[in-house]
Amino acid sequence: MDFQTIPATPESLTIERAEAMAQRQIKKHHVAIILLHWFNATVWLTELATGAALISSPHFRIAPLWYIDIVQGFFGPRAHMLWFHVAIGITWICVFAVYGTFGFRTYLAREVVEREIALDWDDFVWLIVRTLRILGKSDDPLPTQGIYNAGQKLFALMVYAMIPIVMVTGLVMAFHLGGTAAVSWAVVLHFLAVGMVFSGLMIHVYMGAVFPEEKPAFFSMVTGMVNELYAYRHHFKWWKEVKMQELEWKRELEGAGGRAGPGGGSAAATATRELTLDTPTSTRGRGGILRRIFRQPEYWPPYVAGAGLGITLLMTFILMGQGLGASGGFTRYLVALLSWVAPDYVARNPYWSEYAQPGQSPLMNFLVFELIGVVAGGFVSGWLAHRLRISVDKGPHISVRSRYGLALAGGVLTGYGARLARGCTSGLALSGGAVLSAGAWAFMMAVFAAGFIGAYFARRSWI
Amino acid sequence: MYVVVSLSLGFFFGFFLERAGFSSAKKLTAQFYFKDFSVLKVMFTAIVIAMLGVAYMATAGWLDMGQVYVPLTFLWPQVAGGLLLGAGFILGGY
Repeated sequence: MDFQTIPATPESLTIERAEAMAQRQIKKHHVAIILLHWFNATVWLTELATGAALISSPHFRIAPLWYIDIVQGFFGPRAHMLWFHVAIGITWICVFAVYGTFGFRTYLAREVVEREIALDWDDFVWLIVRTLRILGKSDDPLPTQGIYNAGQKLFALMVYAMIPIVMVTGLVMAFHLGGTAAVSWAVVLHFLAVGMVFSGLMIHVYMGAVFPEEKPAFFSMVTGMVNELYAYRHHFKWWKEVKMQELEWKRELEGAGGRAGPGGGSAAATATRELTLDTPTSTRGRGGILRRIFRQPEYWPPYVAGAGLGITLLMTFILMGQGLGASGGFTRYLVALLSWVAPDYVARNPYWSEYAQPGQSPLMNFLVFELIGVVAGGFVSGWLAHRLRISVDKGPHISVRSRYGLALAGGVLTGYGARLARGCTSGLALSGGAVLSAGAWAFMMAVFAAGFIGAYFARRSWI
Repeated sequence: MYVVVSLSLGFFFGFFLERAGFSSAKKLTAQFYFKDFSVLKVMFTAIVIAMLGVAYMATAGWLDMGQVYVPLTFLWPQVAGGLLLGAGFILGGY
């Protein structure tokens, strides 16, 4: 079903070949680019929404009054909305700065300069012919296009030219840099640059979300993949590039196989190679994505799991007015048990009695229920990922018995330390760290310091 | 309602901890031997996200910081507790 030779110009396809090509997916976007795209989209949406409402002067107002009322009702005082607008803008600048610095070679140099804005002669012809065709004045075939067509490149060029202007003028306005004249100019330039991007954005969104022929391009911004037929028809030069790479790779594989097994079995070897080449695309179904995310025994990438944890923590602050915790919950279970066995002792002890106020059960607390949820959540996660098993987690040079002994000793130290510091790694370091409690950060440093020092003495337990 | 919200927040807490690999003592202690920095990455990603979220919500007026419990600072007890907990962590594994 593959092309024996890669054609230099697009030729007409047989139905079978077109169908086969429609089934095959090829990779168009890297995950980092997809994430950046949607981050960028969210920023533009919120910034446009708040920015439009911020322009309240009757001479320059662009949004209708009812819209401004709604947005201001949402944020309360105008100063809050301005702060929100500025904060999002600064976050945006920071993210771009990180991408630009650490991804300079991969994203800026290669992705942007060589692919996204590199207009060539074909692109100029394409723009002219495309316009004439839309006007019904021409039937000329369109020149072949690379991974982005000339229209997309023009949009990208404009956006990349305007983004620095938006960023710099935004900073000048937000922090009144460089005096009144600079700020007044910044206001005008900020509006102008945003207006330019916005006009391009209308076409961009229409093309991506509505225009039927470009549907695969929209979905490629979610899955990263486009089908080969779309690539062949719309981005022929890029398709050719991908095919050449595939061919080179196949030749390399064949060359290696030929050397490994001299003579005979080359037909079988070719067959298995075909199979390995085909399987990654054929097993990649719609149900496959969820399965890959939840059912695979590998742990999630730390930044993904960390983001989930961070959002859970944020929700906890909003809903409960406190952070997540663990040791506080265990303390409450213990107090409940103690006040059942020896209520007098609990009442007399200044530490325990704090938790056992008369008329209120020590178990009526967020942390108590949260801990039950933790057990359930951990169990479900491990169960989904086929990680449930009974085992003793230890290094190869320590017996199970000593591991149990050390675990008990470590548990005593951890428990005492956590209650002394009024919190554990979850309740103090994580939750307190997020709300910038000075003690929480001191605690965190101490934990890591002791951990790194103790690591030398405990090395036989783990490595 | 209070119980349901608490349980589900705990559920997600446990779920993401397990997804990150925090159920494995070997993975947790590997950071102290410079072999696997997942713990630091997960923890600081979570802290930064929650921190920015709380800060933005507070400046936008959606979250009243007066209602949020900020752990009190008792410097030396907390440093001592941290040292004990860190020592217990590397000995016990969790």
